[in-house]
Amino acid sequence: MSDALIQLFAEVLQVDPAELNDNSSPDNLKQWDSLAAMSLVVAIEEKFKVQLSTKEIMKMSTIGLARKTLQGKKVAL
Amino acid sequence: MTALDPKLTWRQYMTAQKQQPAPECDMRVAIAGSMTVEPLEPYLGAHLLGKKFKPQITVGPFNQLRQICNDHQAVLGEGPYNAIALLWRVEDLFPEMLAHCLESPAAVGKLLGEVKSLADAVSCLRKSFQGTLIVSTPPYPSMPGFQVLDVGQAAAGMLAYNVISQLWTREIAQLERVRLFDLHGLMLNAGIKQAHDVRKWQLYRQPYTETFWNDIGRILGRMIAAEKLSSKKCVVLDLDNTLWGGIVGEDGLEGLQLGDDFPGKAYRDFQRHLLYLKSKGVLLAVASKNNPDDAYEVFDKHDAMVLSRKDIAAFEIHWESKVESIKRVAKRLNIGIDSLVFVDDNPKEIGEVMERLPEVSCVTVPEELAYLPGLLAETEFFDIAEVTDEDRRRTEMMAADNIRQQTQETMSEEEFRKSLNLKIVVFAAQKQHMARVTQLINKTNQFTMTTIRRTQDEVEALASSNDSLVLGMDIKDKYGDYGLVGVSILKKQNKTCVIDTLLMSCRVLGRGAEDTFVAKLAEAARTLGCEEMRGKYIPTAKNAMVKDLYKRFKFTYDSQTDEWIVNLSNAPQTPAHIDVELRLSDKNAGSISASMV
Repeated sequence: MSDALIQLFAEVLQVDPAELNDNSSPDNLKQWDSLAAMSLVVAIEEKFKVQLSTKEIMKMSTIGLARKTLQGKKVAL
Repeated sequence: MTALDPKLTWRQYMTAQKQQPAPECDMRVAIAGSMTVEPLEPYLGAHLLGKKFKPQITVGPFNQLRQICNDHQAVLGEGPYNAIALLWRVEDLFPEMLAHCLESPAAVGKLLGEVKSLADAVSCLRKSFQGTLIVSTPPYPSMPGFQVLDVGQAAAGMLAYNVISQLWTREIAQLERVRLFDLHGLMLNAGIKQAHDVRKWQLYRQPYTETFWNDIGRILGRMIAAEKLSSKKCVVLDLDNTLWGGIVGEDGLEGLQLGDDFPGKAYRDFQRHLLYLKSKGVLLAVASKNNPDDAYEVFDKHDAMVLSRKDIAAFEIHWESKVESIKRVAKRLNIGIDSLVFVDDNPKEIGEVMERLPEVSCVTVPEELAYLPGLLAETEFFDIAEVTDEDRRRTEMMAADNIRQQTQETMSEEEFRKSLNLKIVVFAAQKQHMARVTQLINKTNQFTMTTIRRTQDEVEALASSNDSLVLGMDIKDKYGDYGLVGVSILKKQNKTCVIDTLLMSCRVLGRGAEDTFVAKLAEAARTLGCEEMRGKYIPTAKNAMVKDLYKRFKFTYDSQTDEWIVNLSNAPQTPAHIDVELRLSDKNAGSISASMV
């Protein structure tokens, strides 16, 4: 599956979207280091016009969890 | 504009670069900080792309400024870098000491010692690193006791910060060619609250918002570009409703708006900014549709005028078109049309100039006059890396030029040349000449054989090498001193002397200066032990005037190498009427090589 969120992760992490799924996390994706995490937050906030709290950011440890957080904020993905 | 655009631009550029087998790059920059500075990369990159560079940006490791100063290659990699930019904050490097400063004056002294030692480390880096070196001012700290809204606690924090900032600024200003980037000022400009993102500070030790990183990228991009790109040279000004309010021909001297009360104050403050630009070497010219006597009367008699007639390098006051006036200004001042900025309140005039002279940068007087004083302050037109003595004296030299021109019109060419009592000195450039030499290399567009641009460090390296010679030419005549107006770089290759660079300011042409310069190059080449001299003409959009220069001096063209060659036994001679001297002796003994140790 590939949606706007996967596209965004692929773009920021510079990986093929086909390699990503909701279970992708810093543990199984070497490109997702702490600097990338910072860029991901910025990209998500800018693309989906939301502001994430530190608590929400801390919880986004997989793409699936990021999706859940964003859906909770009524972002259409 | 959102902050997204520069990042997208940068990402697309990086992707394209990665697809190249050997990506081109003409601007390698390293950035590092006492905090996380990674977010700066795309913004700085995009701004450099906007200035037509092909940049590559390396981000140094977090909080290793001292290590970078001690051995930048070990920490940042070989490079070689064109520029290094270091950002730092007191609260990152010395948090405990800074906190103590609020309680004890002795702690301030100790912290000052640390700051001095950091400045010494920068001085060390200056010696080992040849490119553009930029360091930030420390921004006003974000920590307890320094919060602006901490009512009643301002004094201790302010006092400590001010002495730290003052010491740092003074130490850095003393170092040659270390550029100070005012991060503190930029933060005030953006607003302390607006600049910071406390979430990112907590999570990533990255203090700033994306918008503020974009601001930092823009200013750093300008500072880096100013070393290589030429800035605008002249502002051409309308008079009525631009330098003063009202129309002098209708309202009369007394009816003009110019003084201490708005709107007169806006015009007066604008004139003050123009005077400041003049002190940086920018020429001021006037293009006005007016009766000349009316216009001059304002300059001569109006008490509130900040600018006087002698501040203006060229007047075009008549009823002909502004396009014609602008062309004449460029011709009289001997500068390219594209180095002019035109300011007028009349959209029709602006429109006509934009259409017929698209190279001219046009600025319209704003409807809201309160913005007039800052009109040119927030542009990039006059970004100058270093202001030289020649810059400060430019308008005065132009005035001497005008007298020369009038004399020339009344005499024959030959008589005129003799009457000038031209005195020319060609010399091996020393340390004190480097800023001016570099400036000429980077801004001369017309009388230049190769148009090879270089940074000051590159020029210094050539000047201190045994296989090359950086020559300057000084010219004086009975009307005044032109200063350093010609540069050549000679490179010795066995018995051949290659003319890498040969350029002159157009203001001095037509007096025999170019003949003299070429003759002295030949003499210098002989002292290097060479038997022939070779040089290229590399055409650009602007240097057609020197297309046949080598031919004129009896060089022969070699189509195989695209070079012009002359045997030194047969080289051009100095014209008879010129008093000329060649000084090469202090090469190598000079202060350049000594200062590098």
